[in-house]
Amino acid sequence: MTPLDFDAEVLTPRMARIIEARDMTAQERFFRLQLPRPLNHRPGQFVMASIPGIGEAPISISCGPRHDEQLELLVRNTGSLTRAMHRLQAGDFMGIRGPFGSGFELAEFEGRETIFVAGGLGLAPLRSLIEPVLSDPQRFGRATIISGCRTPADELYREQMQAWARRPKARVIRLVNDTAHQPWDGEVGLVTAPIAKLEIDTPNTLAVLCGPPVMYKFVIMELAARGLSNAQIFIDLERRMRCGIGKCGHCQINHVTCCREGPVFRFSDLESLPEALT
Amino acid sequence: MRGFLTTRTAVLDWLRTLGQQEDVFFPLPLGENSFSFDKVRQHSRLAFEDFDAAPGEKPFRASSCVQPPGKKLSPNNEQIFRFSKNAHGEYQLTPTLDERPRIIAGLRPCDLKAIHLMDRVHSDDIADAHYLTRRRNTTLIAHDCLQPCDEHCFCDATGSLRWRQGADIFLTPQPEAKLLLEALTERGERRLDDAGFAPCSDIEERRALAEEKRAQPFGRHFDAPLQRVIDTVSDSWESPVWDKHVERCFSCGTCNLVCPTCYCFDVQDDYNIDDPDSGQRSRRWDGCMLEEFAVVAGGHNFRPQLAARQRHRIKRKLAWLPARFGDGSFCVGCGRCGHQCTVDIDIFDIANDLLAATEARP
Amino acid sequence: MKLKIAFFDMASCEGCQLAILDCEDIFLHILDLVEIVEFREALSETAPRFDIAFVEGSINREMDADRLRDIRARCSWLVSLGACASHGNVQARSNALSPAENLQRVYGAEACHTVHTDPEYWPLWAHTRVRAVHQVVKVDYHLRGCPVDRHEFLHLVKRLVAGSLPRFARQPVCVECKYNGNECAFAHGETCMGQITWGGCDAICINGGYRCDGCRGLLPGANLEAHRALLRERGLGEAEIDSRYRLFCSADVGPQEAQP
Repeated sequence: MTPLDFDAEVLTPRMARIIEARDMTAQERFFRLQLPRPLNHRPGQFVMASIPGIGEAPISISCGPRHDEQLELLVRNTGSLTRAMHRLQAGDFMGIRGPFGSGFELAEFEGRETIFVAGGLGLAPLRSLIEPVLSDPQRFGRATIISGCRTPADELYREQMQAWARRPKARVIRLVNDTAHQPWDGEVGLVTAPIAKLEIDTPNTLAVLCGPPVMYKFVIMELAARGLSNAQIFIDLERRMRCGIGKCGHCQINHVTCCREGPVFRFSDLESLPEALT
Repeated sequence: MRGFLTTRTAVLDWLRTLGQQEDVFFPLPLGENSFSFDKVRQHSRLAFEDFDAAPGEKPFRASSCVQPPGKKLSPNNEQIFRFSKNAHGEYQLTPTLDERPRIIAGLRPCDLKAIHLMDRVHSDDIADAHYLTRRRNTTLIAHDCLQPCDEHCFCDATGSLRWRQGADIFLTPQPEAKLLLEALTERGERRLDDAGFAPCSDIEERRALAEEKRAQPFGRHFDAPLQRVIDTVSDSWESPVWDKHVERCFSCGTCNLVCPTCYCFDVQDDYNIDDPDSGQRSRRWDGCMLEEFAVVAGGHNFRPQLAARQRHRIKRKLAWLPARFGDGSFCVGCGRCGHQCTVDIDIFDIANDLLAATEARP
Repeated sequence: MKLKIAFFDMASCEGCQLAILDCEDIFLHILDLVEIVEFREALSETAPRFDIAFVEGSINREMDADRLRDIRARCSWLVSLGACASHGNVQARSNALSPAENLQRVYGAEACHTVHTDPEYWPLWAHTRVRAVHQVVKVDYHLRGCPVDRHEFLHLVKRLVAGSLPRFARQPVCVECKYNGNECAFAHGETCMGQITWGGCDAICINGGYRCDGCRGLLPGANLEAHRALLRERGLGEAEIDSRYRLFCSADVGPQEAQP
């Protein structure tokens, strides 16, 4: 066996102090963390977040690339670990490993128009790409953000989206499936609905999707109807990684590991991965 | 590299002596019909088969060895780190790396190849420090097979029978109850230099002697050459063969857990009951045949059908991992999965059925 | 604030509560994490509300069902404790007989007469069937086994105390049996229920050289057809196979034909 230098702490997180923690909805809690050293992540990457003694899970990075030691995560209360995370307060610590995954190449979006389609919590990972795109209108083309959720009470990043809408070259379409008798200043319907009416520069447009698996098929049909090819569509897939380093096997989709080759895939590359979207 | 020649008894005595200073794992009988790589003690009854042993006379059969020897390098419930938390809520985390020296002796070429493949997997891309630390501190003393272990063996069909890479010392049976000991690494050389066995001057002739003695054909063979098997499994997606072989399957994960090239794991945290501010993270063996393997947060299962899980397992062994690593079949032909399965679902039969289905296809 | 936990027993041998008291080496540490407010085996007080209710035993009489509904209304999490509570255990075998037949078979004709004519006794026998706890009220977690496994109990308590949730893998006994490197019971001619039985027991019976008799209940979706065929191949008759399947889980698998 060839001798190899390896990182002894590859599976051991470094502890990040929580500097801000607040509930964004009844189900989602927002965290801003202070890491011991900068993460230097790319948009679309994820971290393995944990509470020692309770567990570890993959969480998408929900802020754009940054050079300081801060990191933002949005955690949905879905299970044993995330339930415990919802009790964490500013001043507490969270374990972080990563960043992992391929993520998005920002260069690819230069001079292009981008349509972001987010279903529910899917807005959190997309935000890591929306932020850099919107913050540099010279470098990137127009950005359209279509974000849908069930009811107004489930909406994420509301003020942020309202602020995005005021940026140059930005369009923001906020939808709910059902107003549930709550005040609502956006549209009612599914994220597929606005696509048909969008003004699109088809050959110069990329689409980026993140949401529940059921969403993809219908959004892709709408985008295809507008002339977008599979190579112009990116999808951020969800899998339950245990390690982030391509060893645990849980995120394998056919011959690729989602934690290394993904979780962001070009849709045309998913044609050889029949298990990706089912 | 140097070679030595001595009696089987001398080698087994040597292993027993080493076993008093460090952990030496050797295949020992378990229950009525099984084997287990256990620590050698002073009075352990160790045995290797004779040069002239008839088929069925081996004191060890890989397919009946429930846990492959390579599992010693990534044990179940392996600790990843320990933690403690102080009064300010600040954590101290210490990764657990097991640097104790150990010897795995008496493993066969199939399991040796499996360890080589696990070396590849764990040093690929981002390396697994925990595995590699154990591996670096482990001496492998492998033993050649001149007869197949039993009717489950198909190591020759998968290209494992003549595997030597990764062994520090390689033992080859010789006439007159002797063994040829070859040092294949510096670590092996050091070990053998310390042992004081008589040097062997005719290594090539000794090897040839064993090769001549080797059973021919050796064990089971696929209905086509290995590359055709790999190509066929690679090209098989929708196939009734997948369904056929899960009719009796319990989805119990045994085939994963006894496989020398299965390495998937799940991660578990716990805190200490007597000091809840301290605890550990560990990992335990997992298997893609188990129902919950591909479940994500929120409960969606990306591989709920048993046949899809079976396909996933077989394609990892005979298509995807071979393609990724370019090191041949990840099934090493030890025969464990088929033999340990209570309803005899055998990767060998599945591969042959896929070959037949492909032949039959218009 | 410490979580309040309470133990209740229905029709059972109370062996599961004893299995928990058997954590004596760490029991004081457990009491650092939780407050036990009701525990007949160890305490006499009772409490109006509690966080976790552990219910041991099957539900045989309507009065037990009423008591159980009351417990459910007073707790946040209700946990079935052991095989009786989780799937009826051996007493649920009586479901195959009418109450009158049952009585006669167990106590004979004379006692039968007394019971039938005494209004105090008859309601105790006039149950229609032995039920598992989840057949009466919503159960949040099952601690399976006859008796329960103390590690699973500890896992559940530690997780809930930490604001997390327990996780019980849905996998058969074979998994832990392989973890332990056991020789498969079938490899030495034994027949075993491990493939179709909920794991979590660390395969304790096979570790000890015995087979799995299925005390933790059938795994949902278990391939019973294949298992039945396998037991048949290994020489078991249909009646024997039926008996194996319902030994611990009659309430789960439904009424079966009576054993002669």
